[in-house]
Amino acid sequence: MLRYLTKRAITYVVMIFLTTSAGYLLAVSTLQPALLEQERIPRPTPEQVANSFRLKGLDPALSPWERYVDWLTGVLTRWDWGRSPDGAYINAEFGDRVLISTRLFLASIILTLIIGVALGVYTAARQYKAPDRVITSYSYLMYIVPAPIAYFLVQLGAISINETVGERIFFVTGTSTPGLEGDGWAQFGDMLAHYAVPTFAITIVGWGAYQIAQRQYLLDNVNADFVRTARAKGLTRNQAISRHALRVSFIPVAQSIAFTIPAIFAGGFFAEKIFAWHGIGSWSIDSIAQQDVNAATATLAYGSLIFAIGAILADLATALVDPRVRVQ
Amino acid sequence: MSRDTTANSGRTADGTAARRAENRAENTAEDTAERLHVAGLHAPTDAVLSVRDLSVRFNTENGVLHAVRGVDFELLPGKTLGIVGESGSGKSVTALAIMGLLPSTAEITGSVRLLGTELLGLSDKAMCKHRGNEIAMVFQDPLSSLTPVYTVGSQIIEALTVHNPTMSKQAKEARAVELLALVGIPSPRDRLKAFPHEFSGGMRQRVLTAMAIANNPRVLIADEPTTALDVTIQAQVLEVLHTAQEETGAALVMITHDLGVVAGMADDIMVMYAGKPVETGTVDDIYYTPRMPYTMGLLGAVPRVDAAEKISLIPIEGIPPNLIRTPTGCSFAPRCPLASDACLAAEPALRPVRASEKHGDEAHRAACIKTELLETEADVHEIFSAPSVPVSRFDAIPRHERKPVLELKDVKKHFPLQKGALIKRRIGTVRAVDGLSFDIREGECFSIVGESGCGKTTTLLEIMEFRPDQDGEVIIGGLSNKAAADGKARGAMRKELQMVFQDPTGALDPRFTVYEVLSEPLENLGLARPAIRKRIMELMELVGLPPVHVNRFPNQLSGGQRQRVGIARALAVNPKLVVLDEPVSALDVSVQAGVINLLDQLRAELGLSYLLVAHDLSVVRHISNRVAVMYLGKIVEIGDVDSVFDNPRHPYTRALLSAIPVPDPRLERTRERIILKGELPSPLDAPVGCNFASRCPVFAALPPAKQEKCLTVEPALEPAGAPRDQQFACFYPDGELDAELLVVHETS
Repeated sequence: MLRYLTKRAITYVVMIFLTTSAGYLLAVSTLQPALLEQERIPRPTPEQVANSFRLKGLDPALSPWERYVDWLTGVLTRWDWGRSPDGAYINAEFGDRVLISTRLFLASIILTLIIGVALGVYTAARQYKAPDRVITSYSYLMYIVPAPIAYFLVQLGAISINETVGERIFFVTGTSTPGLEGDGWAQFGDMLAHYAVPTFAITIVGWGAYQIAQRQYLLDNVNADFVRTARAKGLTRNQAISRHALRVSFIPVAQSIAFTIPAIFAGGFFAEKIFAWHGIGSWSIDSIAQQDVNAATATLAYGSLIFAIGAILADLATALVDPRVRVQ
Repeated sequence: MSRDTTANSGRTADGTAARRAENRAENTAEDTAERLHVAGLHAPTDAVLSVRDLSVRFNTENGVLHAVRGVDFELLPGKTLGIVGESGSGKSVTALAIMGLLPSTAEITGSVRLLGTELLGLSDKAMCKHRGNEIAMVFQDPLSSLTPVYTVGSQIIEALTVHNPTMSKQAKEARAVELLALVGIPSPRDRLKAFPHEFSGGMRQRVLTAMAIANNPRVLIADEPTTALDVTIQAQVLEVLHTAQEETGAALVMITHDLGVVAGMADDIMVMYAGKPVETGTVDDIYYTPRMPYTMGLLGAVPRVDAAEKISLIPIEGIPPNLIRTPTGCSFAPRCPLASDACLAAEPALRPVRASEKHGDEAHRAACIKTELLETEADVHEIFSAPSVPVSRFDAIPRHERKPVLELKDVKKHFPLQKGALIKRRIGTVRAVDGLSFDIREGECFSIVGESGCGKTTTLLEIMEFRPDQDGEVIIGGLSNKAAADGKARGAMRKELQMVFQDPTGALDPRFTVYEVLSEPLENLGLARPAIRKRIMELMELVGLPPVHVNRFPNQLSGGQRQRVGIARALAVNPKLVVLDEPVSALDVSVQAGVINLLDQLRAELGLSYLLVAHDLSVVRHISNRVAVMYLGKIVEIGDVDSVFDNPRHPYTRALLSAIPVPDPRLERTRERIILKGELPSPLDAPVGCNFASRCPVFAALPPAKQEKCLTVEPALEPAGAPRDQQFACFYPDGELDAELLVVHETS
């Protein structure tokens, strides 16, 4: 088992290296930060720009390959991911960004999974009854509604609650109140007030996909021959379904989880923008707008890493629930 | 019609008084039974399971489907009841209704009493006290009936836990080991931790049986337990069911469409048609003196593996009725050759067939108003007007004077077995086909038989492949694969050879009408439109389909009709040789008979040759002239079908033949059966010497000195004796069989 996972991990490390390198080479040959510098007032001379970039390790005179080798040496020997055109160090900003993204999405992902799978099971057991119809229709609706619109609606709802109560219960943007004084409890309350709205919004939009998948796979198995065998042994229908059908139906769901986690983490820029949590997703978009080669590459590397982690988690989950993949 | 009426009225006049008296006696007896039944009184000698007027309805989009209509039976302890019928006759629904496993939308009426307790109307929870405890079931498809994510041990233990919550873990494990040993799983203690996917189909069916008998049930229901298995494995599993029944003393309900399977096992038989029992009686009554045309037809439709004399099979024309419309008359009347207007007046009830005789014979009942007509030894072939045996113009010509249409010379197909994700290492070779040589002459049907995995299908694929880079030579109608470098030569080959596939539904494009299906190969030949039209009409007539069916889609045809379309498509280009891959295994017995007769007739009329692959040796015997028995990619015995079947020399052929059940109860009871140990070994560890040694009953009985030869030298095909056309590959063809592998059942 451990050997199997190690083998998979090595494959993913190779994959991360390849995507990141390809990403860097693409970025370095297309992004032109020097052009943006020309819009500054007073306009710097090209010599000044080149000079300033050379000092930041972004020398535009070098060929893409030379810059790639320099950059790779820096990453591998000093763990230095370089600097932005404005002089900021990627390493310094990266940590903050990852922390913010993780805080924004981790709780929602866990809630999305649990609620989605649980509702899937609940609706499958009540196929075509009123709760099933309501919940499944809702899930399909969430497929159709673009996520930003749903986020805005949640924000509006939170604002109207605040207005009705006449007090600011929820913060609809930002990660914390700047300059808040007080003890730990006050800080914690402030964090919850900032957390509630985005987490709620991301969760209610996200669970639909899991609910539909879990419901479908479970229904495929509810009338399976082995469930009938279990009932013939003397298990009630519900026992047979929960002990035999559920685990089998979870196998494909576990696999799909892997590929939605990176999508949420790295592609969550709508949520980050709307709720003003400046995480990785918004950084990746901003860095392209800023013609920032090193930041764009770093976010790409982070995306591949998250993807690899998701895939390994899926392998692990599949191996846990399905004994047939444990061989070798 | 008029004669019937006279006969009936005559009889009525004669025996009115006598009949009335009889009816009274009968009614009293039934009344008593009924009163005891209603009171729920139960004595040990009474039936363990008693089913009264069971009826099941399903609400469907098209209306109410009346799947089971009035099933009655009593099952005594230790007895076996066989329920026989075609698919859709309501056998499985009856079993599931008894077990309470039908969906909640099913409307079930009547009464099912298990040890005196009424089961119908019990809640799922209350029913669970009985299910798996006093009444258990073995299902049809062993591959899908075990949960893939749990070990077989935990699944057996679950059955014990449900009904014995206080049992200790060790005791349960010990019992599980005991059960696995009972059903014949080697090294049961280690196998407890194995997952279902590590077991073959036969082994899984054993596990399911072990699970069913875990709590010593009083009633065991087996629903087509061997249909999905090979004959040798079928014999093993039937043996396991027999042991299980002996060990637990359970009454057994055996549901099957195969009349051979129940002949040796059952005490009583119930024949079902269109959701109703149409004939019931002891096994001898049903097999030797059937009194209902449907039963007679079914028996006549089955080819026999032990019959050398060739007689046509009895096809039952038509299809079973749609159960959404309640039949007004006898439900079999539309297919019955004896049907008259009287049959359509009312649905006949089951009644004793020998009204004149007193008790003892009441068990034999039939639902037919013409029962009396069938009392005298009526010839079923005459009643059903079975076609006469067709004679081919080639039959008179000696075999060696006929031209060969297909020749195989040392054809091999080896698959490398590889391991490793990036860099593949070859860790072995699967010898799927290992040096096959045979020929097929004009007008001849040649069959290949063997267990699944022996290389039958690979052989067919190798013949169809027809490429110069194949290992070995394939000559079709004078064209050799070595000379077939381009598509043109292969195109010419396809005109000589066509194929009919196993699953007629899968082999026809559902979006093509019959016309389009048949015109495609003809368009390929470049025929003009009017010529195509003419040829299609010829083909329809040839395979016995009404010409109006050309505009139908496959889903508007029955299974037998679809297979006829498949045959017509193969015949469209006038091939010399037709390859038949299990052509009837997907069809019901009665329909199968019609298709076999058609194949036989086409062979004679058109002078066709067939290469048939089938697992049903009875069908092979019926239709073939020559046969080859394959084992692990090699032919172990080949020759004239009568020589091989009547005087098998290779121990494998002997085992294979003895495993086929024959629809003849008396013969079945006394037949000596060779039960092979284990299953077809993995082609990976194919031995140096004789492939079959590991399972060979002769080898097992040999002294070690002689065994040496089997293990080191590979036997070659040797002729069996000058006059006979038979070759076999065995050193000790007449060797003593190991007594442990022989089984004879002396049923009560």
